[in-house]
Amino acid sequence: MKKYLAVFKINLLNSLTYPAELVTRSAMILLFMWIFFQLWRITFTAAGSDIINSLSLRDTMWYLLLAETLELGRPRLARVISEQVKDGSIAYLLNKPYNFLLYQLSSGLGESLPRMGMLFVLGGAQVWAMAGPPPDLVNWPIALVALAGAWLLHFCVNALIGLSAFAVEEVAPFEWIYQKLVFILGGMLIPLDFYPVWLQTIAKSLPFAYMMYGPARLFVQPDPVFFTQIILGQLLWLAVLGGLLVLVFSRGMKRLAINGG
Amino acid sequence: MLRELKFLLSLWKTNLAAAMEYRLAFFSQSIGMILNDAVYFVVWIIFFDRFPSIRGWQLTDMFIVFGISASAFGLAGLLFGNAFNLGDIIVKGRLDYYLSLPRPTLLHVLASRVVPSSFGDFLYGFISYFASGQFSMGGLGRFIIAVALAMTVFLAFLVLVQSLAFWMGTGGVFTSMAINAIVTFAIYPITLFNQTAKVILFLVIPAAFMGAVPAGFVKGFSWSTLGLMLLGAAGFLTLAILVFHAGLRRYESGSAYQTEV
Repeated sequence: MKKYLAVFKINLLNSLTYPAELVTRSAMILLFMWIFFQLWRITFTAAGSDIINSLSLRDTMWYLLLAETLELGRPRLARVISEQVKDGSIAYLLNKPYNFLLYQLSSGLGESLPRMGMLFVLGGAQVWAMAGPPPDLVNWPIALVALAGAWLLHFCVNALIGLSAFAVEEVAPFEWIYQKLVFILGGMLIPLDFYPVWLQTIAKSLPFAYMMYGPARLFVQPDPVFFTQIILGQLLWLAVLGGLLVLVFSRGMKRLAINGG
Repeated sequence: MLRELKFLLSLWKTNLAAAMEYRLAFFSQSIGMILNDAVYFVVWIIFFDRFPSIRGWQLTDMFIVFGISASAFGLAGLLFGNAFNLGDIIVKGRLDYYLSLPRPTLLHVLASRVVPSSFGDFLYGFISYFASGQFSMGGLGRFIIAVALAMTVFLAFLVLVQSLAFWMGTGGVFTSMAINAIVTFAIYPITLFNQTAKVILFLVIPAAFMGAVPAGFVKGFSWSTLGLMLLGAAGFLTLAILVFHAGLRRYESGSAYQTEV
């Protein structure tokens, strides 16, 4: 485990080396939160109500902040892994005394944490000014637990997409479609609570809701029963997607041809 | 002028031939992008199903705005693909190649690359317009004009922002922020924004010229709207060319060995 901790620390320090760049890259969230606020402020006014499907404007904005933080802060592992497969540099990683997947997980986490932290701080300050104070601090730990589970689910899917480079030339289309499925079925742009009931049922039976909606919803309105549902759902999907990832990786290793030079 | 047009046509033909060398990748990226755009648009279908009108803006308006933005974005990528990484080219000293040839530098560098997935964006825009329920042959003609002018404004904005690399020595961060800013503002209803924001959307981040204004033109012909679009396109293009050439006077060769194919 020490080696993975070392990889994590190196990537964490690397991300923090140029703080100005970290801040500049994270500033995008200010644009998105501002637009979301304009949209939802007018929508709530047009609906003639302070509460829509048990969410207030303030709840909706903090929900969207956490969702956006998760989306913008997750590592773009699919592209990293697919480049390593296509250009053969995966060979340098495979002959090292560590597990390739755990290496990618540690490295991705080291990159993600500072970015997500900065996104949340910048976006949070803006949302506080526009919509009101954040949810009670009591909510934060359970949301963090769900956030960790969501990050791991994202990691599994991104790694699977990256490893599809063993079979296909270009993984970008899979990445785009996955992102859009998270937008829609994960409730990234619109909370699932605003969806028609039939679509909510479909969305909540798929892993995307546990990647986005679950942690964001728990952040604004924690509920012990809902928390249990989310954690159990995340564990189930982690078992499925994690198992698939290990299987795809071992099959990919058998197909891998590395040309010397 | 005719000579430059012949030069552009040759460049485009060569770029297309190069892209079609990897036919499967070209078509898979194009189809993937169409699916990506279609899935993304589902968010608006869900939103307007729940909230039918936002200050007079409805789903049919979103079909047209989305269509224009997608096709304009796609056309820029197809014809002037290097507009997306001009900043990088400047910073890495790769303008040397273009400066040594007897062709207008900016035109040459912009038109030297095609982004394969852009074909999907370009096509999707037309699909979106056909699906809007407001299709007509006259409207199609106006749609084509609108896309051409929206593309011009988008291109000019990208050149303007990335020309900052001549002075700041860095390109990548601002490029992605600029693209995100203009595209995000373009595809959200303009009725969300107050007067101050609208001034910004016309004069600073010209998203209004990429979304709302051309959409209004497509819905119904008006000399004033056409005049406004032409003025916006001419104004931003002129400014972009002036700023690029002002920056070019400061450019220093990187003296790196480079191969352009």
